Amino acid sequence: MQILKQGFSAILAVLAVFFLIFGGRREQGSHEGRVVVNYWEKWTGNEAEQMGQIVDDFNNTVGKEKGIYVQYLSMSSVDQKTLVATAAGVPPDIAGLWDPQVTQFASINALEPLDELAKAHGIREGYYKPVYWDACRYKGRLWALISTPAAAALHYNKALFVEKAKELRAAGLDANRAPRTLDELDRYAKVLDEYETVRGRKQVKISGYLPMEPGWFMQYTVYWFGGRLFDEKTQKLTINSPKMIEAYKWIQSYSKKLGKDSMTEFRSGFGSFASAQNPFLVGTVAMEQQGPWMANYIEDLKPSMNRWKMSKEQERKLPYEARQANYQWGAAPFPSAVANLENATYAGFDTLTIPRGSKHKKEAFEFIAYVNRQDVMEKLNSLHCKNSPLAKVSTKFINEHPNPYIDVFEKLAASPHAHGVPKIPIWPEVSEELGVVAQRVYLLEAEPKQALDEAQARLQLKWDDYRARQRARNSQNAANGGGA
Amino acid sequence: MTRKESQQLGKGLAFLSPWLIGFLVFTLLPVALSLYYSFCDYSLLQSPAYIGTENYRQLAADPIFLKSLKNTLIYALMALPAGLMVSLGLAMLLNQKVPGQAAYRTIIFLPSLVPTVASAMLWLWLFNAKLGLINNLLDQAPFSWMISALNFVLGILHLPQIATPIGWLTDPLYAMPALALMSLWGVGHTVVIYLAGLQDVPGELLESAEIDGAGAWTRMRHVTLPMLSPVIFFNLIMGIIGTLQVFAVPYIMTQGNPARATYFFTMYLYDNAFRYLKMGYASAMAWIQLLIILALTAFAFWSSKRWVHYQGK
Repeated sequence: MQILKQGFSAILAVLAVFFLIFGGRREQGSHEGRVVVNYWEKWTGNEAEQMGQIVDDFNNTVGKEKGIYVQYLSMSSVDQKTLVATAAGVPPDIAGLWDPQVTQFASINALEPLDELAKAHGIREGYYKPVYWDACRYKGRLWALISTPAAAALHYNKALFVEKAKELRAAGLDANRAPRTLDELDRYAKVLDEYETVRGRKQVKISGYLPMEPGWFMQYTVYWFGGRLFDEKTQKLTINSPKMIEAYKWIQSYSKKLGKDSMTEFRSGFGSFASAQNPFLVGTVAMEQQGPWMANYIEDLKPSMNRWKMSKEQERKLPYEARQANYQWGAAPFPSAVANLENATYAGFDTLTIPRGSKHKKEAFEFIAYVNRQDVMEKLNSLHCKNSPLAKVSTKFINEHPNPYIDVFEKLAASPHAHGVPKIPIWPEVSEELGVVAQRVYLLEAEPKQALDEAQARLQLKWDDYRARQRARNSQNAANGGGA
Repeated sequence: MTRKESQQLGKGLAFLSPWLIGFLVFTLLPVALSLYYSFCDYSLLQSPAYIGTENYRQLAADPIFLKSLKNTLIYALMALPAGLMVSLGLAMLLNQKVPGQAAYRTIIFLPSLVPTVASAMLWLWLFNAKLGLINNLLDQAPFSWMISALNFVLGILHLPQIATPIGWLTDPLYAMPALALMSLWGVGHTVVIYLAGLQDVPGELLESAEIDGAGAWTRMRHVTLPMLSPVIFFNLIMGIIGTLQVFAVPYIMTQGNPARATYFFTMYLYDNAFRYLKMGYASAMAWIQLLIILALTAFAFWSSKRWVHYQGK
């Protein structure tokens, strides 16, 4: 028995040693002998796979030629994982972050500046659309380049417009086009609203427009009112400016019109965005604010909306301008509340950054520069169904893009009235607070002015405190003989 | 210490060392560092800069911190007594010798085996204002009559009436009670502990009480509950710790909404640490949370002298 026990223990020990030595080897393959660049990205599902195609293209062409292999890993919470890995001294070489994090991460030295590398690859200011180039910079330095950008536009359901053509005409509106002013949007919405009575209760059946569906850009509503969220000159947040109050009053007006309880009950019946129960696809919300990716989601979840009049084969024979008629939905610039504020939009984006301490900065930037080549950028953004961040856009990109309205998004992104996230490191906190303000306002818990005044007071204090702490830190560093 | 004893000590420490090193490096050291960071301006990538009690001073004036603390305490006040009473009641029912006892016990325990995310998703649908099963039931008799009767009484008392359908997770008034109600879903573990405690209640005490003419209620009040008090005390302590650290379920179901009605302490702590990158501020919050839990636990221990009875004492 004793011998059996000892024999068994010996076998286990040998196995343990074997696996320790040979078990956990890094995967070796076609990239042997190349510099391995670790690339962490936020996307999952189709978007991750599509970026995977770009990575494969790079590895098989430029990467092969220059001896670089990009090891691509898609993950959730990429921002937090990047931050922790950077703090631990083992960052990825490339991290695909969200736009608000460029400023946030740059402010705490979590990113490598890219100015020199970009210049060496000929990537300069004029190469990008101004709104995107500006958003990649913080305190005079370049911290990120773009992988996929977006711009918010109004999406409308043409079939619902046609159904209500008579009523729209009676209200002096044209059923064959999207609203052009915010006042017009409100009037269209009112005509398109439908109610039903269930068990003696009046319920919303169709809503013409709901600011909170999907509500992703609600904190930027002031851009369509000609206002801003932050004044860079005075370094003050402008959360309770008259324009902001006006914008939030407009949000609240929809809650008051539909009735708070009816509206919340109506919204409870919505499926999630990436599901066939998406209210825009189901036809329970006639107009909404969305990004260019919506065309891809419609193709996946309700393809009939992309084949309204004819099959895809027939549509392909049509010129670009004529294709739009085959779509049951349309996209147009989201109307502004102010005259002469054309093509106002929120322009967001996904970034490619090099975290501080990356061991292969030069090689990592080779990949970032590759993604920023016009042909590659257009391929990636056609796959992702987004516009291009580059100033120059090919006709092929427009004509063959899966979104028949991509020219609308291109126009919006290039507009002088396109704005990104305010460049303050505490923006994630400000954005969160604005989301809560919007909820308080549309749940009729507070009046817009009261809610915005409270938010302004709290957040300005946070921002002032942040700046005071940074100043103290910089003085301390200077006193210790270090840089700021 | 003899040579043999010191050899044994050495062996003991050697065997203990993996855990001991792990505990020191991965638990004790981070806890100690978090205390230091709570007095610093620290964002993970910048070196911590000592700022004294500034983080604590700012927390005292931070309305969101106070709101999250208030929400957490209200949740604890709702979920903890409800959980203790419901699990005790269920344990007593399951302790009855009836046919199918094992099956009933299994059924009650099963929900606590469902993963947190899955049960949160399930309850999201149950609580759905438009399509949810709960509101559909409330729309049917006799529940609809009960709500009408209740609204009649509330009307007489000039109190706000219950508007149907109830926005369980979308109305700030109902979101917190909804989460407290949902917390009862996982009482299976507590029920098992109570059941084990109930097996330990001496049969001879119950018999003598019965011979002395005590009815079922009196036996429960004066024999079962005192004998079960150490178990109730244990569940109370675990409940205090658990409810004050509530995070995963509300984070999945409401993300603190609507309008921060379900924004809990740990959610604000997490946001400060990982979304706003304010590790010093978050560390200060963590220490305040520890102190609150410690104070409440100490109070429970102090009060236990009056109501917890141990056999043989």
